[in-house]
Amino acid sequence: MEQFSQQLINALVLGGIYALIAVGYTMVYGIIQLINFAHGEIFMFGAYFAFTLITVFNLPFWVALPISMLLCAGIGVLMDLVAYRPLRNAARLSALITAIGVSIGLQNLARIIWGARQRPFPSETLPAFLRQGIPPIEALPAFTLTETAIALPGGAYLPYRDLSIILLALILMIALNRLVSLTKIGKAMRACAQDRVAANLMGINTNKVIAITFAIGSALGAVAGVMVGVREIIEPTMGYYKGVAAFAAAVLGGIGNITGAMLGGLLIGFAEVFGAGYIPYGYGSGYRVAIAYIVMIIVIIIRPTGMFGKSTTGTRA
Amino acid sequence: MQDKLTAKNIIFGLLICFFPLLMYAVDYISLLLSYRDIYLPTPSGDYILYSVVQIGLYTLLAVGLNIVCGFTGLLDLGYVGFYLVGGYTAGLLMVRFGFSYWMVLPLAVLNGALWGLLRGAPTLRLTGDYFAIVTFGFAELLFRIVKNEIWLIGDINGFVKNIPRATIFGMELDQNWHHYYHILILLALVIFVTYRLQHSRVGRAWVAIREDEQAAASMGIDISRYKSLAFAVSAAIGALGGAFLAPWSSIISARSFEFWESILVLCMVILGGKGSIKGSVIGAIILGSLSEILREVLSNFPQFGGARYLMFGVILVVLMRYRPDGLIFKKV
Repeated sequence: MEQFSQQLINALVLGGIYALIAVGYTMVYGIIQLINFAHGEIFMFGAYFAFTLITVFNLPFWVALPISMLLCAGIGVLMDLVAYRPLRNAARLSALITAIGVSIGLQNLARIIWGARQRPFPSETLPAFLRQGIPPIEALPAFTLTETAIALPGGAYLPYRDLSIILLALILMIALNRLVSLTKIGKAMRACAQDRVAANLMGINTNKVIAITFAIGSALGAVAGVMVGVREIIEPTMGYYKGVAAFAAAVLGGIGNITGAMLGGLLIGFAEVFGAGYIPYGYGSGYRVAIAYIVMIIVIIIRPTGMFGKSTTGTRA
Repeated sequence: MQDKLTAKNIIFGLLICFFPLLMYAVDYISLLLSYRDIYLPTPSGDYILYSVVQIGLYTLLAVGLNIVCGFTGLLDLGYVGFYLVGGYTAGLLMVRFGFSYWMVLPLAVLNGALWGLLRGAPTLRLTGDYFAIVTFGFAELLFRIVKNEIWLIGDINGFVKNIPRATIFGMELDQNWHHYYHILILLALVIFVTYRLQHSRVGRAWVAIREDEQAAASMGIDISRYKSLAFAVSAAIGALGGAFLAPWSSIISARSFEFWESILVLCMVILGGKGSIKGSVIGAIILGSLSEILREVLSNFPQFGGARYLMFGVILVVLMRYRPDGLIFKKV
């Protein structure tokens, strides 16, 4: 029971992170029908930017996070401008190959700049409640507050760090949902997703809308990157592994569908954590990353539109 | 363009046939010069020969990948999976069961074709992005399997060690010039088969499928059958490359079959122009040599180890922007 609730927390955190990345994939796909392979790399750059700002420039965490988001949004827009915009009307496979090229380029650029080794965010630079706490040896009564965690009924501990990640992900998701459904720019995005040419004819500056989409997706990816940095370790290949898992989440939710991507992220997070935790003989942990691939392949082959996808998107493939 | 015995072609052919001799002559000359304290700044001929074998192997893979990517026009991101199947089929059979290389070679090719069909069956109706993603996932799964299944592979991280060399009449093929002729013969065979296929009914059916699947189907082409054939032949060639790799490098591990290898080979096919055998060969030679030169240059600067792949990324982006049909040839 104790292990179960602990795993539940892990799954929620991982699911929230995947959801944040998956939204970036799905928004871009919704508008320009491009699998932006390089989105995982943006997520990785988000983590490294925050890491550099904190360790090299000695900025406090709460300043580093928004700067990292801004920088990533900039990279996202630049990427669209340099690599994808010239190919807007070219064959779709050309754009996909370009995306793969950008992805390899960025990943190895990071390897050159920051080195290939894995590193954690230095704990002492983080705000107190984001630090890794040591759970108390004796079980505390439920809802006791320790320095770094809350004791839950059943003997599990919910670290403040995980709680903040879950809450932040939730807040950002709700904000994004409101943005897309209520604001003018959200309306323009939805119009572009439906029919780009018609939207253009109606006086919407589609290039600007696409750039804003890239910026928003990249900023959310940067937040996810910082979350992973705070909770786990950062390395140049993290964008590749977590990126594919998040892409699987986007496919599972029906690519192009923002709410679907959020739910898909949660589901992949749960599948990964519980798969790794409960599949016997240690099989789960070795195949941790593979679980997302398997889900993705099965979904694409059996139901390419995903769980919540509209049936019209299926014909586009 | 075929069967022309021009002076240029004859010289070119002779150069290919006697390349090792030339390289050993270079070594001999630099040995003679070193007696007089003159040292050439070039790498040794033997090392160049080794690099050429490496490039030949990549060329083999590029020609194989071109069948799916170029002829049928489907983006295959998991070609390395078949390379892996061939490598492990050969390596494990030779190490565990003591099979000889010449027995293992056809088995690996057959196994590769089988895996090609296995992967092909569920992906027959997928096109474009979705096909690319499934092939990518497939190769990653195979990579995970050889990395984790210790009972199957026999060592951690997919290591198969001490793979015996191939032998001919009791002579071990362990010199670089042996490998050179070995890969040259395999490559000639593969190019011949692919060339004949391209200029046959099958090749025309593949191109028809690439250009318009519905139109091809309505002209009476059995889409599933021809696509499956393309998958099988392409996979078999990939497995052949793997089967060559195993005894050549005498050690294989999961790291030899990472996703980046697929991309490198894809880059070669695209550089030369999808759908052209000659293009694939030339693309592989250009990128292969560039890769080997960069590896040599960058070995002095370990912190720039990523620059090699950074370059491939840039090449892909720039090519797609300015020459989407390849640097050398237009689509046939």
